[in-house]
Amino acid sequence: MSDIAIVGIGEVPTARMPERTHWDIIFDTCIEAVEDSGIGKDEIQGVISVAPLGQPVIAGELAYGLLPERLGLKGVRDSAMVNAGGASTSNALRLAEQWIASGVADSVLVQQVTVHSTMPVAEQIEVFARAGIDMQWEYPYGTTYNIIMGLLATRYMYESGARPEEMASVVTALRSWAEHDPNSLFYGRSAPSVEQVLSSDMLATPLHKRESNVLADGGAALVVVSAERARQLGGPAAFKLGESARYFGGTCLEREFSTMAEGWRVTGEEALARAGVAREDVDLWNVYLAYPLAHPMMAESLAVAPPGQGARYFAEGRMSFGGDIAWSTIGDAPGRGHTGSGVGTACYVETARQLMGRAGKRQVAGCRFAYQNSAGGSGFNNIASIWGREA
Amino acid sequence: MTKPLPEVQPWTGAFWDGTRQGKLLVQVCHSCTARIFAPRKLCPECWSSDLGWIESAGRGTVYTFSTAYSMVEPAFADDLPFTIAYVDLAEGIRMMTRIVECDPAELAIGMEVDVVFHARGDVRLPYFRPARNGAADE
Repeated sequence: MSDIAIVGIGEVPTARMPERTHWDIIFDTCIEAVEDSGIGKDEIQGVISVAPLGQPVIAGELAYGLLPERLGLKGVRDSAMVNAGGASTSNALRLAEQWIASGVADSVLVQQVTVHSTMPVAEQIEVFARAGIDMQWEYPYGTTYNIIMGLLATRYMYESGARPEEMASVVTALRSWAEHDPNSLFYGRSAPSVEQVLSSDMLATPLHKRESNVLADGGAALVVVSAERARQLGGPAAFKLGESARYFGGTCLEREFSTMAEGWRVTGEEALARAGVAREDVDLWNVYLAYPLAHPMMAESLAVAPPGQGARYFAEGRMSFGGDIAWSTIGDAPGRGHTGSGVGTACYVETARQLMGRAGKRQVAGCRFAYQNSAGGSGFNNIASIWGREA
Repeated sequence: MTKPLPEVQPWTGAFWDGTRQGKLLVQVCHSCTARIFAPRKLCPECWSSDLGWIESAGRGTVYTFSTAYSMVEPAFADDLPFTIAYVDLAEGIRMMTRIVECDPAELAIGMEVDVVFHARGDVRLPYFRPARNGAADE
């Protein structure tokens, strides 16, 4: 039984466009989402922003309620910002759910905006070097997110026996979806081959340049209402059916792989059970992990691939555009372009788009149920949710 | 460019005093015998404040590692390439560190390593290098 539904979505193409300001993006995404929902602008009663990472000015403006005023949303009763890194959008949707359940708001606008292109490169690196990194026991050694992902990948490859070619094929798979995504930084560009991935510069072993992410600008918005209101509106909608979460540890130093893998498995199973959906009935696994190298491990945890076979499944093209498993149909951050906490928002927009039947060339035929997860920091948690096109 | 120093907390001063003296200290809980890393104000297992320190023999094994070649903060650019690792100490804790005096191509998970202290300002950071002759105290 569903309590809330997404009834409107808005999104701008992910790109490096310094002339496109934060507010320029906010106007476009929010107005598109509200118009898409069929709800009048003054009927929006709540606004929740997903905290933008490393952008203190816009973060302050959004946290302190400037958005409803700027957009002329006359019916808004409250405004807030939520932050759990990459897991922020899941929490924004939970807060929307609470506002709707408690009567604070009937309809809630959730939005995210990120502009990386006006930040100097050194500042971009610093933001990602400090986000969730322990300032006493990690940072002084010179670590970064790329290095942390390198540490994880080194160990995963040691334990699973996955070969570099198989790991590189995850990039090829994710980018194959991006090629057909008009809102991707890589729209219309051929996915790189395994050879091209492996011949790109080494950033932090075993992570090559093409196995990391390109920072870009973007934004997206969603309109959330009660499931009952969504049915009354009568248009296509994405209903939230079930959710589950686990916390693993703030620094990956104290996180065993087995704990994460088990948590990914348990949250998936619990979310499915709460939704009353069988695993075989999931049409889309819209996985969010930011870096490609964690995808094989997730595929195994979700039993989409057998144990130890996750990387091979990607290498065989099964998760690619045209393959037999619909997986991360915007290609996660490697496919979309990395917009910080915005990649999670973009994933929810894609889940709603697929369930609404509006994903164009990427449309999963007959998409009824989708798995959507999010995770924060270097993987401190996993929030699994199941969405359906009917309540 | 100045490299960052550890942001010391009131209960971690002893650890950094130890490294200045060439000692690698491991925090222990006297109530539940837990070995603790990173050091805490209270034991993360039982919340006891009855905590103390033991001196590590300085030997560990590499749990995982990554060698950085680019895209690090400007303050660390002159160190490139450098290797970050998690090392499991014989005393039962795992810490982030750097591996030095080792060709990245020779590095492997499970490799035995010994602590070697590296000065930065008035702090000495515990780095590790491949173990020699099987003696931790060489």
